[in-house]
Amino acid sequence: MGNCFEKMGNAIKTSSYKVKLSALFMGSGQILYGSVAKGLLFLAVEVAFILYLVRRGIDDLTGFFTLGTNKADAWLGTVGDNSVVMLLMGIFAWIVIAGFISLYILNLKDVYGIEEQVKNGKRPKTFLQELQELLDSKFYITVLILPVIGICVFNILPIIFMILISFTNYGGSIVPPELVDWVGLDNFRKIFTLSKFAPTFGRILGWNILWAFASTTLNYFAGLGLALLLNKDCVKGKAFWRAFPVLAYAIPGFITLLAFKFMFSYGGPINQIIRANGGVAIGFLDLDAKWSARVIGLLVNCWISVPSIMLLATGHLSNRDMSLYEAARIDGATAFQQFKKLTLPFMLFATMPVLLGQFIGNFNNFGIFYFLRGRLYLDGYFLASDTDLLINWLYNLSIDNNYYCIGAAISLIIFAITSIISLAVYVNSPSFKEEDTFQ
Amino acid sequence: MIKSNSAGKIIDTTLTYVCLIAVAFIFFFPCLWIVLASFSKSGSIYSFDGFFPTSYSIHTFKKLFTDTTMYNYPRWFLNTLFVAVGSCVLGTLLTILTAYTMSRFDFKARKPMMKSTMVLSMFPSFMGMTAIYILMTQFGLINQIWGLILIYAAGAPMGYLTQKGFFDTIPKAIDEAAKIDGANSAQIFWKINLPLSKPIIVYTALTSFTWPWSDFILPKLLLKEKDLYTVAVGLMSLDETEFARFAAGSVFIAVPIVLLYFCLVKNMVNGIAEGAVKG
Repeated sequence: MGNCFEKMGNAIKTSSYKVKLSALFMGSGQILYGSVAKGLLFLAVEVAFILYLVRRGIDDLTGFFTLGTNKADAWLGTVGDNSVVMLLMGIFAWIVIAGFISLYILNLKDVYGIEEQVKNGKRPKTFLQELQELLDSKFYITVLILPVIGICVFNILPIIFMILISFTNYGGSIVPPELVDWVGLDNFRKIFTLSKFAPTFGRILGWNILWAFASTTLNYFAGLGLALLLNKDCVKGKAFWRAFPVLAYAIPGFITLLAFKFMFSYGGPINQIIRANGGVAIGFLDLDAKWSARVIGLLVNCWISVPSIMLLATGHLSNRDMSLYEAARIDGATAFQQFKKLTLPFMLFATMPVLLGQFIGNFNNFGIFYFLRGRLYLDGYFLASDTDLLINWLYNLSIDNNYYCIGAAISLIIFAITSIISLAVYVNSPSFKEEDTFQ
Repeated sequence: MIKSNSAGKIIDTTLTYVCLIAVAFIFFFPCLWIVLASFSKSGSIYSFDGFFPTSYSIHTFKKLFTDTTMYNYPRWFLNTLFVAVGSCVLGTLLTILTAYTMSRFDFKARKPMMKSTMVLSMFPSFMGMTAIYILMTQFGLINQIWGLILIYAAGAPMGYLTQKGFFDTIPKAIDEAAKIDGANSAQIFWKINLPLSKPIIVYTALTSFTWPWSDFILPKLLLKEKDLYTVAVGLMSLDETEFARFAAGSVFIAVPIVLLYFCLVKNMVNGIAEGAVKG
């Protein structure tokens, strides 16, 4: 860092007026040194930026802090401020400023570089040469510019927006045209203490963690077991047997889920058969179906996820070092011991990132209970049911019932939980601890 | 000794096959159920005898494509196809390019970019839904199906890590040889690396096709008119009395995907495995 400042200081002291002019009017130095096209481009950026600031940027920035001061009034016919749009455009303005600053720095570096080259008697690159460079040694800039913009607008901006929303009172009756305000940590306090939210949050969190561990473990071992079963020497026609799980894998998830919902529904075949044999129907959609509904969810999720893990495990199993198994067999190890001491550690090592991904995917498995048992609101829960995961509650709160700020606070809590768990698992995993065991 | 061993082997083989048949049944039965239900004559699940319809006809399939006043399935299907193909082409291109550059070029922002994508992917996937909705209203893209393509394609490069893992396995010596022969970066990518990466391209294309094909959250949020629905949203709005229509619609949408998977499963396995190990 210090070195960097020293360099900058030197640059400021030694540079000519042309560089200094560029600090004021971007690109002017470049024009004076003869790179007209590039200089004009930089200048255009500065002009566009100033125009943006004057026309709406400054308003957007103040709007970011005030979230609107002018309330709409139908009687007086005033169009009020839309706080949410102001917040969004405010974030956008910050992103534009950040982009401009980095271009500004680039501009200074560029003109300084040109000056150094001229001092050393070299000719600065022509515009055409620089364009060619963008296709060759700086190819990555050309390529990455679109994805980066896309991710900034459609991923990063919404995430920042939701993070900020969790610190406002947006939602309930406070939606535009009402004015939204910053409230600090109030939403988090509400979730943990208010009798409306706290019990629901506690119950759902407990079930969510249980669900994530149970379903990930079940799916993983079932998938691994299936792969080992199909991998056995005595199995003839492996492709044929493998086709069945692949079939399940290929069917879009929402079809599977809706089909299972029909299967377990009141008029569905399972309840018909149970009733025909004099049993009591599983009220899968009933309010008191708690554990039966949860177990059905677990099994349905298994049906959906096991094939993908099986395919993955099959790929990895073919990479095993078979001589180790030979040695183990000579030493008299049983099949189970071989599994425990050789196969499992190897597989855990190889699939750790995937396993983590599965865990997070299951923790946030929105579809499963949304399709199977969506839109049930039970007593003792606030806008949720006993099979709902945090992500379903988040959906019920924010999309269906307008509790945006509470929903946003919950998504931050989900983020905190998943990142802490996955970090802890990753640090303690063999892939991290003994990185070179299997290499 | 030898005898008991071979007896053990027979028991083992029998057990293995029993398990295999059970597994095959578990995975096959629901599929068979849906396919047979789609040929049900009456259409409602209440008229079924246990799992299966009492009488069969292709009436439901006809109805699916002709009776469009309430449920315009052909339109839904075309909408879905449009969104899926569009996002598949754009998304695959962007993802492959991103993964390739992240694997081959060493630049200052590379490590920070990789770390930030890791962190970003930790956020619940639809945390930003409200914001996306507001953004789309600002852009005037509510009830526009190509607005969906924009979002899917823009989000696709986030998952570049698997593809990067694949490109890491292609030896860099090839690139250097090409460079000595005078090829520039773009040429090295298009002419040398792309032909070598068929499995991962297939894998990427397939995943970026099936995601919009079966997604329901985004279309449900952004498409408010019944004629603009995608199949996933449309099928969701059917109830038990329309079970056969649901089944027929599902069969029609699942069969192309299933066939694709079976043709490409070899590429898939290689793609996933190679990408994941070195990720």
